Amino acid sequence: MKLVLARIDNRLIHGQVLEAWVPNIHANCIIVANDEVAQTTMRRLLMEAAVPKSIQVIVNTVEAVAHLLNSAELGDARVLLLFATARDALLAFRAGAPITTLNLGNMHAGAGKLKCSCTIALAPEDIEDLQALEAAGVEIVSQCVPTEREVAWSRMLPKVKGEG
Amino acid sequence: MKGLVIATHADMGAALLRACELIIGPLPNARAISVQREDDVEVVRQSFAEAIAAVGRDGDGVLIMTDMLGGTPANIGASFIDAEGVDLLTGVSLPMVLKFFNSKSDLGLTELALILKAYGQQGIQLASELLKR
Repeated sequence: MKLVLARIDNRLIHGQVLEAWVPNIHANCIIVANDEVAQTTMRRLLMEAAVPKSIQVIVNTVEAVAHLLNSAELGDARVLLLFATARDALLAFRAGAPITTLNLGNMHAGAGKLKCSCTIALAPEDIEDLQALEAAGVEIVSQCVPTEREVAWSRMLPKVKGEG
Repeated sequence: MKGLVIATHADMGAALLRACELIIGPLPNARAISVQREDDVEVVRQSFAEAIAAVGRDGDGVLIMTDMLGGTPANIGASFIDAEGVDLLTGVSLPMVLKFFNSKSDLGLTELALILKAYGQQGIQLASELLKR
């Protein structure tokens, strides 16, 4: 198993992932780590139906995915791993998911969130969770689609806080 | 009368409705939802709820058409599927939208959706292949 992209994207599997990322990083396996979708049959079936047959799709709970990534089950798959939230990414990392770089894709605006870019807005708890991941050695970058420039998340933050 | 909601990436749905109007005239009970890159999922969900309520006021059912299976418009639209009166059809094209308005009004929602699905598929042809026949 090679983890070719670990990404936080609150839309999970969608157009940008299927049409921009998958071809760019030659992923042949998409893993969605999300407790809610894993437990909602309708959403899980639709998600699986939306992906071309040549790509394996696995939807499971955050904990189950962390275990799976450490097993031999995935063979030599090139894995694109998706989380809906920073908390799920942190939980997976703590449960042993081998994440070295984390891509911030879509974390949309909402009440009480700091808007960092057109598609990234962070709540205080998101920042704490990402800081915990960073402190543990995970490189965190923001890049919505492959044609955009990758930006270190630390460079997005001070701008919002008015420190830089 | 059945309602139509076309939900797409960017403004393709609104453009499809304009194109359809250009051909057959004003369209009753139709709305377009444009999903932009920066849109919050909950805000889009709210747009769906409003559009479905507006075009479904006759109680004859609502068909959601989206551009792409697996895209955000289809993913969010899917949460509104309801055996009683809301279904979702992906791969929307101009022929499918035209056929929606030009179909008999006594068809059930699922019956109509199946016709439109087949009609959309028939609308995709390669000219050089047609010429070989």
